[in-house]
Amino acid sequence: MAETLTETPPRQKLDGARQRLSDRDGFLAWIFLVPTVVYIVVLVAIPFFLAIAFAFSDVTSGNPSYDWVGLENFYRVFDDAVFWQALRNTFVFTVISMLLIVVLGKVLAMVLVADFKGKWIVRFLVLLPWTTPVALSSVTWLWLLHSIYSPIDWVLRNVGLIEENSYFLGRPALAMGSIIAVHVWRLVPLAAVIMMVGILSIPDDITEASRIDGAGFWRRMFEVTIPLTFPLIAVAALFGAIFTFTDMAVVYVLTGGGPTNSTHVLASWSFVRGIGGGDIGQGAVIALFLFPLLLAAAILILRAVRKMETI
Amino acid sequence: MTFEIDPWTRRRFFQLAGLAGAGVTLGACASEPESPAEQGGGKAPSPVFNEPATQLSGELSILLWSHFVPSHDTWFDSFAKEWGKKVGVNVRVDHVDVGNVPTQIASEIQAGQGHDILQYIATLSEFEEGVLDLTDVNDEVANRHGEQLAMCRESSYNPHTDKFYALAPGWVPDPGNFRKSLWEPVGFPDGPSTWDELLQGSSEIKKSQNVPVGLGMSQEIDSNMAGHALLWSHGASVQDANENVVLDSPETIAAVEFMQKLFKNSMTDEVFSWNASSNNEGLIAGELSYILNSISAWRSSQEANPEVANDTFFVPALEGPETALAAQHVMYNYVVPKHAKNPDAAKEFLLHFTDNFGLATYHSRLYDFPSWSSLSPQLGDWLSSDPFGAKPADKLSFLGDVDTAAEWSASIGHPGPSSPAIGEVIGTFVIPNMFARAARGGMSPEQTVKRAHEECQRIFSRWRKRDLIGGG
Repeated sequence: MAETLTETPPRQKLDGARQRLSDRDGFLAWIFLVPTVVYIVVLVAIPFFLAIAFAFSDVTSGNPSYDWVGLENFYRVFDDAVFWQALRNTFVFTVISMLLIVVLGKVLAMVLVADFKGKWIVRFLVLLPWTTPVALSSVTWLWLLHSIYSPIDWVLRNVGLIEENSYFLGRPALAMGSIIAVHVWRLVPLAAVIMMVGILSIPDDITEASRIDGAGFWRRMFEVTIPLTFPLIAVAALFGAIFTFTDMAVVYVLTGGGPTNSTHVLASWSFVRGIGGGDIGQGAVIALFLFPLLLAAAILILRAVRKMETI
Repeated sequence: MTFEIDPWTRRRFFQLAGLAGAGVTLGACASEPESPAEQGGGKAPSPVFNEPATQLSGELSILLWSHFVPSHDTWFDSFAKEWGKKVGVNVRVDHVDVGNVPTQIASEIQAGQGHDILQYIATLSEFEEGVLDLTDVNDEVANRHGEQLAMCRESSYNPHTDKFYALAPGWVPDPGNFRKSLWEPVGFPDGPSTWDELLQGSSEIKKSQNVPVGLGMSQEIDSNMAGHALLWSHGASVQDANENVVLDSPETIAAVEFMQKLFKNSMTDEVFSWNASSNNEGLIAGELSYILNSISAWRSSQEANPEVANDTFFVPALEGPETALAAQHVMYNYVVPKHAKNPDAAKEFLLHFTDNFGLATYHSRLYDFPSWSSLSPQLGDWLSSDPFGAKPADKLSFLGDVDTAAEWSASIGHPGPSSPAIGEVIGTFVIPNMFARAARGGMSPEQTVKRAHEECQRIFSRWRKRDLIGGG
């Protein structure tokens, strides 16, 4: 009888078990981690190891069967002048874009934290380039830079700065400039928002103290704002670099790698070789060259984040 | 013509902006209105139906491009479904933008699953190892309709492996389109008939009216076609009939030198950023004196700018020092991948579709030509009295019929087959880049030809190693 009185009802038992599970940090950690791990394994790890496997194979777009060819694809890729051009372009686009993104992002962040009427609308508009899908915004830019219909040309012509159309995408230097401009246009808002968070997190009393001590705008900028927000500036720069380094949509839509392969980057050349040319092996080799820089960028981001945690 | 070329006025800007908007709507290369405005006496042929050889059932999925003439797709979708109802097969048709078709095909073959029939507008030879041998289908079509045009056979059959990797039921000619009002004052009222006349007339037009020629030297398909036409007309080619690379030759150098002159005198830097819609946009805007294109740009202008459409006329392939040949503008390739779940239905549908290719010709507004001249016996009549509003009605009569147009047309691998190596040469834009390097002044004709030759050799050696091409 006594046993019957002390027995826990089944529903309470279940609730208890649930409570115990939800109290176990280890269990919860795994539950929360699983989606991320699955995502990374399926969409990052497996394709990455596949790319390594393909790089040593003779797989073509028409024949997925795997035959080992050793380093042959690497020799063929290195023997191709376009690969070296694409490698050089990737670094040039990334470095120039990153510098411009940081400088313009900082300027924009300063504007966004300032107090003025209609601030929220301005913030909304500024974010639009970042929120627009890259393929869509690239097509818009394709029309803005069009050889016949370009409104930019029309304006320049009407203010007397040019006599004939600029052919932005038909001249190598202008085509490269156009690609960099589009990257900067779409990534500056992201950088600005990241840096804005940094600026807003600086305690008012520090800014006030430096002002009382007689520091002007530039001195406050270089001796207070930038040092205190540096980790966030680094994160913005690295995000900008990664997005530029890995992107092929802007190049593919605007120039298709032309004129005469002069604007190809590793991602677009990998696509042309692997899909256009049907040589998956060579496409994989070219794509693998993205890995070392991305690894370095990832390490730097993690270090920057750790530094932020210790501030 | 009242369409002024210069100066840029506000009205002109809005005109062009409006046309640009129309260009976007009209699509990648040549979109047409949904319902063709039939004005002549032509009528669509009656459909033909042959009972399938075996009992069919199940599903059949078809992937094909979004045709430049949307009325074709409307017709095709219901045509395919009606056939399915008759034979007890549930047919599904998916259309993809032309630029995305190769990527889609590659991903389906890599994944080993997807559609039962895959179609593209150029040779699919690079997928030979991943598709079924369609010799039986090609033999059956030959039994029913006779001998296929040689260039279509060369674009679907690999002589080295003795395999029909595709069925090529149709193609599209690539004539020159010229603006009569611009060419008449410079002494060529019927347009140029040779490459030299093109140079002479277009130089004069550029000088006097500042309207350039539009022959692409960019990384896209039309530039490939223009480059090959110029090569062949000079007696040069990428490969010989036995699939050996023969690009580095005095004839190729002469062709490159010609292109240098043509660029300097008649073109602008826009040809280096040419894309699939540039022909259309330039012609519709009245900004080009001559283009190498199918009739699609002109069909688009019939709706978007009738004034330009009425002023646009055509010439067949231009005569060079050696011959007069143009590349096919489009070469339809239908393949049945090894992963197809319903290959019997796929093959039967391809037979049915080929039997009715005359309907495709009609509903594409005479854009598609059949690979067997017997498949569209009314074509000659349609061309001499256009059912879709050409002014004058016999504007397309220069095309004659299938055989006449084929006389000055060639497959992209000419004089050899359109092998996987040729597919890669096309897909990586070796030829347009060869011309562009010299035209831009970055390399001498000899240097650029040598570099392109080496690129071709690298490509050919790889495919030869896979035993998919001959020569060597």
